[in-house]
Amino acid sequence: MRMSRLIDDGTSVAVTSAKPRLSLVTALQILVFVVLVAAWQLGAALGWIDPFFFSRPSDIAAKIGEWLVTGYLWPHLAVTLTEALLAFVIGTVSGVACGLAFARIELLAAVFDPYIRILNALPRVILAPILILWFGLGMASKVALGVTLVFFIVFFNTFQGIREVDPVVRNNARMLQASDRQLLRHVYLPSAMAWIFSSLHTSIGFALVGAVVGEYIGAARGIGYVVAQAQGVFDTTSVFAGLILTSAVVLVIDLGIHRLERHLLRWRPRI
Amino acid sequence: MTTPAVSCRKITVRFATPSGGAHTVIGDISLDVEDGTFVAIVGPSGCGKSTLLNLVAGLLQPQLGDIAIFGEPLTGINRHAGYLFQQDALLPWRTVLDNVMLGLVFRGVPRDEATQRARQWIARVGLTGFEDRFPHLLSGGMRKRAAIAQSWIVDPRILLMDEPFSALDVQTRQVMETELLDLWQESRRTVLFITHDLEEAIALADRVVVLSAGPAARIKGDYPVALARPRDVAEIRLDPEFVELYRQIWADLRDEVRQSQAQGFR
Ligand SMILES: Nc1ncnc2c1ncn2[C@@H]1O[C@H](COP(=O)(O)OP(=O)(O)OP(=O)(O)O)[C@@H](O)[C@H]1O
Ligand SMILES: [Mg+2]
Repeated sequence: MRMSRLIDDGTSVAVTSAKPRLSLVTALQILVFVVLVAAWQLGAALGWIDPFFFSRPSDIAAKIGEWLVTGYLWPHLAVTLTEALLAFVIGTVSGVACGLAFARIELLAAVFDPYIRILNALPRVILAPILILWFGLGMASKVALGVTLVFFIVFFNTFQGIREVDPVVRNNARMLQASDRQLLRHVYLPSAMAWIFSSLHTSIGFALVGAVVGEYIGAARGIGYVVAQAQGVFDTTSVFAGLILTSAVVLVIDLGIHRLERHLLRWRPRI
Repeated sequence: MTTPAVSCRKITVRFATPSGGAHTVIGDISLDVEDGTFVAIVGPSGCGKSTLLNLVAGLLQPQLGDIAIFGEPLTGINRHAGYLFQQDALLPWRTVLDNVMLGLVFRGVPRDEATQRARQWIARVGLTGFEDRFPHLLSGGMRKRAAIAQSWIVDPRILLMDEPFSALDVQTRQVMETELLDLWQESRRTVLFITHDLEEAIALADRVVVLSAGPAARIKGDYPVALARPRDVAEIRLDPEFVELYRQIWADLRDEVRQSQAQGFR
């Protein structure tokens, strides 16, 4: 690997990141995609894979194309994304807030620790029917399910992040006469940010799982509903098409989070 | 007699050991520091110098004894003190400029004014051009200088400095010592300066306090340094008076260092 690179004016500077070159990675990523899709298509054509159960890439692409042209999927996608984003935002905000409170108030953490653990150990997907009972067949029950998934991930990460604050840095801020609020804003939150962000990547996926599973179990709209309908008539092509479109959207959102993370955590050494 | 800036009365500090016992680090120390004096504290590694500074900073409470700052009993953080920590203590997520102005921001100084004053301090410690760097992109010596600006900008009446220059090379070190003396000459604040370098202690201070090897460190010796000011930190080491003082204090310190080594650097 090269240990230096050229900057804009042509000067060579040392590389302090051990990451391989980006173009190479991208090329290999595309290659993996092409090989996988080609194998799938070929397998279906040669009869190794039963298209009834696994569909084929060409059919799925055609289905996605059809949906894009007719606009069939948009309303469903919009519903699912709204639910997922609401769950993501509510779960993240409440998770960060509770994580902060628990990390700062010893008694709170000590008293609630076993209950938090029990709640987190609960298989949330089983909650879905109950939540639908409580919140109805509309969006609220799906948002609630997503929140139960997102909250704990963000909560635990925030809690840990606050606990990991370097005591010397904290004492330094205290000696400079930071108030409790200023400590929170200038020391605890920025320090926990790395932990919070790493939980956001996982939780955006879980917010979507909450929405789709909720819809799958009981709804009249949304990707989960579309998939359930297609499954009812053994239309695997539509099932795959729905899933692929959904994950594509999540990928875009995650990319946004990644950008934000790169900006907010630019103070971290990259070696 | 005026009230001392720092007054420690019969202070004892104990820590719990991992095995469940108690480890006395500081045993019954009394120390008065007059306002405006530069006091250097020397002692073998691990004897409790940082612990003593943490006490005066109000970050740690003694198990026995009292501390008074300008005559008032110390409870909680010492509001009169600025602390230059032995370890890296800059906020890693703030640039040099933001780090230096932090104390002013915490005190509610308007941003414009804080920025302007921070720039002046950055220039004073020779970091102009590095305002927008994050700490991890600075050398160790540059981080120390940023930390000095950060703790001095709020003009604390008492300055606590814990081995600020021990990580620096000899040349940078002399530059920084000169700088420190210049700054001190202007402001005449009370300074508690920890170092393991006896030459540095004598060259800078009005008074050198020698701590004994732990456990239960005590004050082994307390020497006034009557060398004329302003001083040249390089030249002064050749002064016969300096050499004589060095010989005296070293005799004290040597015993403690040996004892501490015999205990195997606990
Ligand atoms: N928080 C703590 N808990 C338990 N023991 C501690 C704690 N802080 C310090 N000690 C112990 O107290 C003793 C003195 O530590 P201190 O950091 O004050 O030494 P020092 O004189 O500053 O040493 P150095 O010159 O190496 O910096 C050491 O034996 C150390 O292990
Ligand atoms: Mg120390």
